[in-house]
Amino acid sequence: MLETRDLSKSFGPIQVTKGVSLKLQQGERRVILGPNGAGKTTLFNQLVGELRPDSGTIHLDGADVTSLGVADRARRGLSRSYQKNTLFDGLTIRENLGLATAVALGKGQGLWSDPLHAPEVRETVKEVAAQVDLAPYLEARVDAVSYGIRRQLEVGIALAARPKVILMDEPTSGVGPEMSKGFHRLLKALPRDLTILIIEHDMDLAFDVADTITVLNYGEVVFDGLPDAAKGSQLLKDIYLGAWEDA
Amino acid sequence: MFTHTPLRLTTLALLAAGSLSYAYAAGFFGLEILAEIATLAILVIALDLVAGFGGMVSLCHGALLGVGAYVFTVAANDAGLTALPAMVLAVVLSSALAFAIGAVCARSTGIYFIMATLAFGQMAYSYVFQSPLFGGDDGLSGAPRPDLTAIGIDLTDSRAFAVYAILLVAFAYLVAARTLRSGLGRSLVGLHHNEKRLRALGLTVWRAKASAFAISGALAALAGCLAAQHTQYVSPGLLSWTVSGEALVVVILGGLGTLTGPIVGAILFVVLKHEISAITPYWHAIVGIILITVVMSRAKGVFGFIESRWDDRGAKTVAKEAEADA
Repeated sequence: MLETRDLSKSFGPIQVTKGVSLKLQQGERRVILGPNGAGKTTLFNQLVGELRPDSGTIHLDGADVTSLGVADRARRGLSRSYQKNTLFDGLTIRENLGLATAVALGKGQGLWSDPLHAPEVRETVKEVAAQVDLAPYLEARVDAVSYGIRRQLEVGIALAARPKVILMDEPTSGVGPEMSKGFHRLLKALPRDLTILIIEHDMDLAFDVADTITVLNYGEVVFDGLPDAAKGSQLLKDIYLGAWEDA
Repeated sequence: MFTHTPLRLTTLALLAAGSLSYAYAAGFFGLEILAEIATLAILVIALDLVAGFGGMVSLCHGALLGVGAYVFTVAANDAGLTALPAMVLAVVLSSALAFAIGAVCARSTGIYFIMATLAFGQMAYSYVFQSPLFGGDDGLSGAPRPDLTAIGIDLTDSRAFAVYAILLVAFAYLVAARTLRSGLGRSLVGLHHNEKRLRALGLTVWRAKASAFAISGALAALAGCLAAQHTQYVSPGLLSWTVSGEALVVVILGGLGTLTGPIVGAILFVVLKHEISAITPYWHAIVGIILITVVMSRAKGVFGFIESRWDDRGAKTVAKEAEADA
């Protein structure tokens, strides 16, 4: 469903992605682990088209999308959530989800009807709000709700696009333990045919939801395998304890 | 998102009733002021559509108004079109020009967008100022008023013309409101709040911005047609950036991003201008002080102040209730 082949990216002399090759099957849930500066978000930015790789290719559903822009990839079913909330502040949660749904359904440039009142948009908003536990907050304005609610909305907007592949950049970033557990439930309840790629530092969540684990360090893949294998990996412990360079 | 709140609907109803009543009661001078207000109101509705809701602060709307006025006048005087087809042509051409400007400027934001639109506006101004086809700095006279005598309306009469101008304001408002309640309008508001996220959801951002700018340009051209019909004379001054600047002042004074507020702003501005200029030639200074007061008080304009207080109270109550329920 989503594949990268030998993806590389440098900023000046610093190589932040080194020949990364990944292959995600439909419905696979893969968690990307790695310390700060490992190149995880840079990899995401290349996958969605916000950054252009120096070399290598990206394939979505069998098609080479390397040269496509962000919007084109989104229209082909690639959606993402951000590490820092990227919401429509000042609008209500219903409007946030409705706008995301409308644009994803191709109703974002029409002139003759209000997409926020279209039955399919309303239905999707209702379903997504239930998925991310936002139903009680639909009429609240984003700038009037708590940080945790905004994190849920961040994921909700990405889900509202009804993607084939969703990339989540640290969905539990900055939330407390209780809300983090809520994210576990949320992620596990998502449809099984949805392909999910998650950057996460929360190991409990990573091992709880992942079918496969990829570990990045200094921009390259240093581990790619099953969660059980990752759990026992000395390599992973070394990386997170900062002993990688000595390992 | 744009909605017709009870406050907005009540204000619009009062404005419509008040202006129509005034049109039937006023003398010649009052009717002239009414037509002037109507022209400015259409221009500021056009500007608020893109600046207030889309965050695209334009300094070329004066030029779009001027292009509309000139195309209308040339089409009617030299191409032999009657007033209504000439208006349609003016609106279509200005809209196409605005689409092109919007498409080029779509990649820039903030001060860069303002400067780019200013450059386009001044290019249009310079061209018209120099061109013999458009009468150079002398301008063109003889812009006709629509002939509605077939339905018993004589627009050479100031009273009928004032009512016609009010109806054009209503038409412009309905077009803008309709646009804001469409998919394009919803995206326009979304672009103002978070362009990056909308692109990541699949929106072709440049096209959405250019389309909104085209509709705004069409409305600015309508204001230009009305200005030409009102004075029956067009001059390069219509395209000047100061016209755009004045429109921006009026939008801010009335309430950026409210659509109703700028109409209130147009009334206040024109009335203040005439009243204060009767007392002192330095009326701009007085209006400037009022504008500074409005901006420094962060009141979102006269109408925006009332509305934001109303909305904030409602939104916070909903959030508190939702948190309590959860």
